[in-house]
Amino acid sequence: MMSVTISIVETINLRKTYMLGKVPVNALQGVNLKVEKGDFLAILGPSGSGKSTLLNMIGALDKPTEGKVFIEGVDVSTLKDNELADLRRRIGFVFQFFNLIPRLTAKGNVELTMAILGLGKSERRKRAEELLETVGLKERANHKPAELSGGERQRVAIARALANNPKFLLMDEPTGNIDSKTANEVIELVKRLNEEKGVTIIIVTHDQQITSQTKRTVQMLDGLIIQEQVN
Amino acid sequence: MKVSDVFSYAFSAIKLRKLRAGLTTLGVVIGIAAIVALLSISEGLQDTITEQLQTGFATDTLIVSPGTSTGVGAMGQGGQMGPVDFHLLVNDTQAIDDIENVTMSVAIVQKPCYIKSDKREFMIYVVGVDFVKYANIYSSTFVAESGEIPSNPENETVVVGKRVSDPWDNGTLFCDVNHAVEIIWTNGTARPPTNETCTRHITAVLKEIGGFGIGPSDNRVYIPISQAQSFFRTDECYMIIVKLENDDEATIESVSEAIREAFSGQVSVTSSTAVLDIVSSIFSTVELFLGGIAAISLLVAGIGIMNIMIVSLMERTREIGILKALGMKSRTVLLIFLSEAVIVGLMGAAIGIASGWGLAHVVARIFGGGGGIMPPGNQAAAAGGMTITPVLTPTVFLGSFAFGVIVSVIFALYPAWRASKLKPVEALRYE
Repeated sequence: MMSVTISIVETINLRKTYMLGKVPVNALQGVNLKVEKGDFLAILGPSGSGKSTLLNMIGALDKPTEGKVFIEGVDVSTLKDNELADLRRRIGFVFQFFNLIPRLTAKGNVELTMAILGLGKSERRKRAEELLETVGLKERANHKPAELSGGERQRVAIARALANNPKFLLMDEPTGNIDSKTANEVIELVKRLNEEKGVTIIIVTHDQQITSQTKRTVQMLDGLIIQEQVN
Repeated sequence: MKVSDVFSYAFSAIKLRKLRAGLTTLGVVIGIAAIVALLSISEGLQDTITEQLQTGFATDTLIVSPGTSTGVGAMGQGGQMGPVDFHLLVNDTQAIDDIENVTMSVAIVQKPCYIKSDKREFMIYVVGVDFVKYANIYSSTFVAESGEIPSNPENETVVVGKRVSDPWDNGTLFCDVNHAVEIIWTNGTARPPTNETCTRHITAVLKEIGGFGIGPSDNRVYIPISQAQSFFRTDECYMIIVKLENDDEATIESVSEAIREAFSGQVSVTSSTAVLDIVSSIFSTVELFLGGIAAISLLVAGIGIMNIMIVSLMERTREIGILKALGMKSRTVLLIFLSEAVIVGLMGAAIGIASGWGLAHVVARIFGGGGGIMPPGNQAAAAGGMTITPVLTPTVFLGSFAFGVIVSVIFALYPAWRASKLKPVEALRYE
């Protein structure tokens, strides 16, 4: 008897064309990618190769011009606005520029994700504290982003991304804006999450330190995957 | 997202920019304060006028005056709105007294005269009435404060209103009981017209009536009607006041009709209810007008809200992108922006109602305090002496609250809708 495993993420012939003024830009030109549960994948490539566009498609933040994105077997292009919002609640995003809400504390930012999901106050608070402890920021929970270092902010962003038990974590150059020492801490944290908690991670990066830690690497160029490598 | 979370998130956004939020709210505060102040003053004024009309104008009385107009104008100082050849005469009361349901009627002869004491001289209306009948009809207002209203008037007697005796309302008396005053009037029938004079003793000063009405006034000098007829060489009267057996609508209607018939439609008959209706309808129009003007300032505030929210939308585009990336639904983004408008509207309305109420009291005090400095005979003295107590009706209170919030929300709809329609990936990329 054959068992069919459904990939957590699958893209089929994914194309995306932007209009940059009047000039069409082919950001993705037919990307086929499969990510399985528990994977730790790095997407590499020079600037403009389509890495971030691919990440946005997988995160249901943007729609492809052509091709399909399946999240756990569901065709994202068939989903309505509200269903897309529901889907995003189960995807953890970590952005290069942290994208924290400046007026909320670290804890407030982590709680926000759960508030969007409709969780009660006490439950949110408890889980936010646990998550901040996981990322080593228990003592800084009541500080606002402006009072935190780049590394600390990124760890808050990771805690926020984990708040709703996401299906997978999407990270867009998470170490791009922090110093190498802090970057190491972040990489260690991400690796631990993957190894110990089995969190599926897709990470777009230039950072060689990260690629050496991931299970798999794909190389992109001009909107296409040109190389796949299992580490 | 729970409603309480939506509000607390919206509130945190407002708190971040206190000055801006404060100024936006100020617009609503001014609009609502203007509405509340204007409406509560005009409500208060209406109440005062109505009350004073009811005091000075017993509800079981009718006013008969020459002319066919039925409005308040028919009772103006001239009283001559109808055909000029028709005159209402003093002995016309006999015909009125015969009508069913009429208890009595009293003719009023009135003429502007000068009144002179050893101190000063004032122009004033001298009114000739039958003291007994007049006191019977206006039993609560035609009452002596000092002295006594003679029941069998001597020709030499004079009764004066409170403001004639104490025109400045400060105890400096112009005249008092037992003082002699000189009454000077113009004899228009002589050619050329001449001034005539007589000296009389004051037998009573009326208690203060306040305000105005058709009945007794603080600014009148009363003399027996026979005296007035002989002084002014006329049998013509200014108006006839008719006391009815009751103040039922049906009685008022039937007697009014009978009087009009008796004088072949050449008189106008006005009831206190009709006057009160007219006052109330005038005030409705005035309130609508004032409310409309105040509402314009609230609309300006609404545009301010819209302007600020569009600016805020641009500043927070990235934040909206983050919220959407975290899975917030468009509807919730819309609600957050609308909640901000609701908070601004609620705060603005609450502060606006409080400050409008305060403003109304300040204005009422300024108006109310202006009385008593003008000499008697001046109509403004009567109006100026009124105390206006601003009235905040539940309708005005709830209406302004709702109006403040609704205007804020309506003007926030467009920016909120735009915010909710932002595409997450574009919003996140926004610099």
